[in-house]
Amino acid sequence: MTAALHLGFIALTDSAPLIVAKERGLFADEGLDVTLHREVSWATIRDKVGAGLFQGAHMLGPMALAQALEAPPQQAFLAPLALNAHGAAIGVSRSLADAMGEDLSAARLAQVIAARGKAPTFAVVYHHSIHNYLLRHWAAAGGVDPDRDIRIVIAPPTAIAARLASGDIDGFCVGAPWGSFCETIEGARVVFESRGFWPGGPDKVLGVSAAWAEREREQMRALTRAVLRAQMWADAPENAPALAQMLSARTYVGAPAPLIARRLDGASPTKIRFAAHATWFPWRSHAAWFLSQMLRWGQIPADAPLAPALEVYHPDLCREAAAHLGLSAPLADAKTEGAHVNDWALPGTAGPIAMSADRIFESPPFDHESLAAYAAGFAISRLKR
Amino acid sequence: MRVLIVDPDSTRASLVAEGLAQMQPLALLSVEHLRETELVAFAPDIVIVACDSPDRDTIESLRGATRDNPRPVVMFVDQSRPGLAEEVVRAGVAAYVVDGLQPGRIQAILEVARVRFQMMQQLRTDLAKAQSDLAARKTIERAKGLLMKERQIDEDAAYAILRKLAMNSGRSIGMVAADLLAFAGVLKGDQT
Repeated sequence: MTAALHLGFIALTDSAPLIVAKERGLFADEGLDVTLHREVSWATIRDKVGAGLFQGAHMLGPMALAQALEAPPQQAFLAPLALNAHGAAIGVSRSLADAMGEDLSAARLAQVIAARGKAPTFAVVYHHSIHNYLLRHWAAAGGVDPDRDIRIVIAPPTAIAARLASGDIDGFCVGAPWGSFCETIEGARVVFESRGFWPGGPDKVLGVSAAWAEREREQMRALTRAVLRAQMWADAPENAPALAQMLSARTYVGAPAPLIARRLDGASPTKIRFAAHATWFPWRSHAAWFLSQMLRWGQIPADAPLAPALEVYHPDLCREAAAHLGLSAPLADAKTEGAHVNDWALPGTAGPIAMSADRIFESPPFDHESLAAYAAGFAISRLKR
Repeated sequence: MRVLIVDPDSTRASLVAEGLAQMQPLALLSVEHLRETELVAFAPDIVIVACDSPDRDTIESLRGATRDNPRPVVMFVDQSRPGLAEEVVRAGVAAYVVDGLQPGRIQAILEVARVRFQMMQQLRTDLAKAQSDLAARKTIERAKGLLMKERQIDEDAAYAILRKLAMNSGRSIGMVAADLLAFAGVLKGDQT
């Protein structure tokens, strides 16, 4: 029997796992008849999965977590897979780049802001997103207070270039390919990327309605397997040209294939990862880091109960799918983040897993057991203890 | 009750406003594009915004700042009436409410917005269908004319040929007629 599913996605390179699963018949192989819906904003993705119009979506990790922290309790999401690492980029407009000159650091930005006496406006894609946290972390590390020295607004990824052109914004943090797009079309300069911030760090997840997953266990398992298979295909360097071509379609990302290909090139250090180093594993410690950022930036109160949010990430469901595909999945649900300067190995269900260096820019290693202390430990933090 | 309608489609916005006019007491502001200052100055209890409006992000920006700001209505109505959130979202309405409102009044407003958005959608669909029907009719007329001229047959015979082609290929007469004209164009060298 074929199950009809509706999944949402945003026009970004890291939506690839869903698009590949559709285009290469991997959903069909699992008995799923999936309709993909290209949505205009992350808020719409949240609302449509929340209202049950979609069973799941390409979703921002922190968005899935935040849903569990709403009061009164909401239609919960759960995440059986992480979709990618890398791809987010901070960029500044041509005129701000000109003012910054050779030095494109946040410390230099602080000087420019002081000289101008006016707070520049940066757009991020959603308030609960790696993009918001990445921009804030980078700015704060250079002495720019993201709540005082700059103004942060929300704009959908596909609208960033137009807002730059109209002069509404002076900078942005957005997922691929829109950072490269802004550079090419609007003469913006990318000043920092998620690869430089945190190699292998967290970003999107496969987020599904928890109520649906509960009701349709087998469909949810089939969906997870199909998307994981697609991640393996999308990650293989030899498939990069075909993937860029596939994503460039108007109905998907709708950007030129060569722009998309820039972040899929296996030789590039900024390559978006879909599978290597168990990128697909929804680490509870990644969830905990996102929560630490919600605390750090005052999005949630210091006494918010965090356990329900941590449980949104489902390493157990991921391990099940990995076993099906003969992949070795991490044995642990969480790990210390940002502690590795060199490549390392991790015990897995079917042998050791090769992991890459994962130091976090201007941050101590992150211990998921003491996330509040981590959040409070930065010079600029809204979490006062 | 202070209601703010944000919709780049002013016809649809007036349709919603008209539907809400009965509800008193009511302060209503309708704008095509939302500026943050306007939002703060008007201090709405509920904001009705078209799902595809880029301005919903302005409201989302505020939401990020503190917990007292408007929150998406899907998160609000689920407890009060099952299915309402789904219907509202399906109709293309995004709404934001401020805490502390009577659920009954919010529901009533959402119902109006939902019904009016759907009404507009239906009108648009009907119009698009009428336009495409008209275009198809013109195409069929031209294809008939072509057949009559090329084969020296009358109008009924030409139509019968088109109908037979349509039935054999399982497509509409309009599509078959369009293909016929395209092929004729190619044969005459209009297109390559």
